Amino acid sequence: MLVGNSSPDAASRAAIRLLMDWLPGSSVVEGSADLDMSSRADQPQLISADIVEGRTLRAIRVPGATRTMVSEFGAFLDGIQRVRVIGRRFGVPLVLGTTGAAVRVRVNRRLVTWGHHAPKLEQKLYLPFRYLPTLAETLRAGSPGKYDRFQVVDTSLPDASGAYPSEHPTVLLERAIRAVDRERDALEDELAEAWCAVGGAPLFIDGGIARSERVASSENAIGVIKSHFTLYVEGEALKTVIGLARGERSSVFQVTPKTRTAVMSWYLRLRDPEGRDALWGLVRIEMSKCENSTERADEISRWVLAETSPLALPDGRWDKMSYGIRDVEEFLRAIS
Amino acid sequence: MSEALGRVVATERKPNTPHEFHFWTAIDSPVGIGTIVRVDGANPMDGQIPHIYGIVVEGFSYTDLQSPMHDVLGHDGLPTTAGYAATERAEIRLYTAAVLRQIPEEPLQPVPMGQVFLAEEADVQVALRMDSYLREGANTGIPIGVYRAGGTEAVIYLDADFLLGPEAAHLNITGVSGLATKTSAVEWLLASLFKHFPEDKGSIAAVCFNVKGPDLCYLDQPGKVEKSDEALYEKLDVEAKPFPRVEYFAPYTAKGLALNTFRNNEALLDNVTPLTWGLREVLQFAEVLLNRDDIDAKADALIDFIVQNVVDKEFTDPLLSKTHRVQSFADLDSWFRDVLQGMEKKDGESWRTHHVATIRKVRNRLSNISTRCAGLVTDAGTVSDLPFGSFEDRTVYVVDVANLEEDAQDLIFARIVSTLREHLERRDLGVKHLVVFVDELNKYAPGDGADTYVRKMLLDIAERGRYLGLVLFSAQQFRSQVHRRVVGNSGTSLFGRMDPDELSTPGYAVLSPATRTKLATLEKGQLMIRHPHFTQPIFVRFPRPAVMQGREGSERYPQASDVSLDAAILRALRPLDPTITLPWVQDITALYTQEEVIRARNATLLARPDNVKAYFAAQFRKIIPAQAAPRPMAGSIKSAPENDPYGF
Repeated sequence: MLVGNSSPDAASRAAIRLLMDWLPGSSVVEGSADLDMSSRADQPQLISADIVEGRTLRAIRVPGATRTMVSEFGAFLDGIQRVRVIGRRFGVPLVLGTTGAAVRVRVNRRLVTWGHHAPKLEQKLYLPFRYLPTLAETLRAGSPGKYDRFQVVDTSLPDASGAYPSEHPTVLLERAIRAVDRERDALEDELAEAWCAVGGAPLFIDGGIARSERVASSENAIGVIKSHFTLYVEGEALKTVIGLARGERSSVFQVTPKTRTAVMSWYLRLRDPEGRDALWGLVRIEMSKCENSTERADEISRWVLAETSPLALPDGRWDKMSYGIRDVEEFLRAIS
Repeated sequence: MSEALGRVVATERKPNTPHEFHFWTAIDSPVGIGTIVRVDGANPMDGQIPHIYGIVVEGFSYTDLQSPMHDVLGHDGLPTTAGYAATERAEIRLYTAAVLRQIPEEPLQPVPMGQVFLAEEADVQVALRMDSYLREGANTGIPIGVYRAGGTEAVIYLDADFLLGPEAAHLNITGVSGLATKTSAVEWLLASLFKHFPEDKGSIAAVCFNVKGPDLCYLDQPGKVEKSDEALYEKLDVEAKPFPRVEYFAPYTAKGLALNTFRNNEALLDNVTPLTWGLREVLQFAEVLLNRDDIDAKADALIDFIVQNVVDKEFTDPLLSKTHRVQSFADLDSWFRDVLQGMEKKDGESWRTHHVATIRKVRNRLSNISTRCAGLVTDAGTVSDLPFGSFEDRTVYVVDVANLEEDAQDLIFARIVSTLREHLERRDLGVKHLVVFVDELNKYAPGDGADTYVRKMLLDIAERGRYLGLVLFSAQQFRSQVHRRVVGNSGTSLFGRMDPDELSTPGYAVLSPATRTKLATLEKGQLMIRHPHFTQPIFVRFPRPAVMQGREGSERYPQASDVSLDAAILRALRPLDPTITLPWVQDITALYTQEEVIRARNATLLARPDNVKAYFAAQFRKIIPAQAAPRPMAGSIKSAPENDPYGF
């Protein structure tokens, strides 16, 4: 779904000019705007997980959760991605993707950009070479000056089973979006790994930590997941999680993705859900595996609860979002 | 070179212009309202990096909070819990600066994006165009104060050519009463002017009218100078000392015994001169004392006749009983009496075309003057005046009119300024440049009300004085209530702490709200300056004058209370001859009337003879002391002869 209507920015204009050179006859998408990434066809699902704190999943009041609790998070990591269809050629979407990631460090209660590792920001063209036959030839011939401005990602490579995507525009667009997602994940992982390598205060990561082995095994990386397309509970456990009150967490369980590193996780209710939807103020926290999961989960829960102030308003996800993450997003929006 | 403290920003809603730009800084930057900054443009213009100098006139601060309600919600309505928030909200310090100068000056373009630096001392000189008159060869800078911001301390100079003429002239200062800012600023500026006014521009003196309180009464006495002020004096290259040459002038009280000034303590009388005028001096300025109703064409004609034909002349007329030589108010009254008696005898209604009613009215008004201005105007015609023609360089002449009636103040002001003007026109005052300081301009040159003689004179000085070297330093509490042409002609304006009501008048609309707020809260010793070279007002700090303040002076040198005639004479003459004693005065004056004694004193003070005692004694008419008549010897009664047969 397209959202908003804006005239093309400088990057879009440059990309359009480049594509017109490379692919004569392409048409420009008038008033192209960033795609709403929620349009992706993720299907909500329930998955059971292994409980590591007790036998059954239960609600636990976080001890010591007061107004005066102190957060030990020293920095925040988040990324952004923007996908914009800037043109088409016989129905094939020509996509400009922008990805970025940054770590903002807290110094004297104010957030500044981490000086050790500069923020990442990339703009690439996501094009299905297979359905743009002249493109590969053009790129091979080379046009260095223009080519340097934008890297090109082929979104029509075969998948793990060797199947190529169809020429259906929606499928091709979905491929581009996935590719942009991966770019963003890669940037975030790079920064998270750099933080873990340096050590220091715990890093608040917006999202999971399981993609990277180094991050998933680091004590300094804490993932906080706001979206719940996948809930790692079923049956009674689901009712327990949905019934969590403000300041309560679930028992710790282990998430073991097939292609990722196993991490420990639990649900935490940040805000009173009374009168709201079931997932209001609910986050899932990921940390590396450890022996003292109860103490560690309590401690990290207190930190995350402490990060609920100040509010992340006016962001619409303020019920789950910490102010530090909003700050990173604003920063990336400003520089991208 | 210092580090950048900000960056220029511009948006479509808040664009930069050639006269204004916006920049942000770190939260803890030392920028504030009145700070001078320099912008270094990023792109060269004609091979030159553009430098833009600006002064901060407005500041904004906000966070990413969209609604105050969000903060309330975030802290559950409990302000005390706000301090526990793990992170402070992102916050901006956004400033608006008014452009002081762009280099290169052409083409004049909107301020470009670039880094913002705190202006250093050299930058301040360029920004305020002071470089043009501080350069070798010009050197007409008069330090007015120190600009301070961050670590920068820069002396701010006024251009003497624009302060004392001929380019522009005059200075006006506004501020609320009670903070001593106005008087202190003028005292400080005079000290700076006397030190730094270029020798090659000629001599300079000041005449200050002390119109209220004792503030100007101790300019020659040392005052307290704080350490911080000492540093300012050093920076401004002015010695922290009282004025070495000050002359005071004050009329007598109505009784004529003591001088009508706060500075009549015996210890301070050595440089206080009585100010007394006679008929001749006053009649020239009769208009000052006579209101519109008094002066009709007929009365005006009679006064003119008296001035032309009677005063200081042998005047005879068949109507009169004798020849008159009118030299004093007493003589004038005698002349009037003779004229009216002559008319009564002849039963005439007019004399020399002047109707008897007009003559009676003019007599009444003129005779009244010596009563209304008693102490200043003498019946006897004794004149003791400012040293017109022998004014001395770097000398302050203070005329104390604080305790006088309004009429007398007006008369003094009108006559002194007119006389100064006449001498300056003839180039024989004694100095080439003269500063006249007048406080309470609201009263003397109001924007509305009657067009008085004094106001006309002030307007004349303001509009034409600079060509003569006559410069008006004026002060008032409410600039908006002063005649526009008087303040409008002031090349330089100073503003101390201002009354908020005054700041809300249209004249201050050109200032930003933040600048107005700063003006309303200025500390003692701070001024905002407007000067022809400065395209925007500048805030400076000036040192407390190194002279004794009025309150301290009046405590240390209490005003002498009204004393007996003998004590008053002693007090007046002892500064001339310290050997004079009270018994001596009593011995000399015992036989004479108070009027005679006062006349003798005035004559002695005017003459300042070498032998004061002899001169004073010589003023009295010879009176042979009365001696007791010798008792006549009683004649002896002849006794009858013992053999007298008729004796009893």
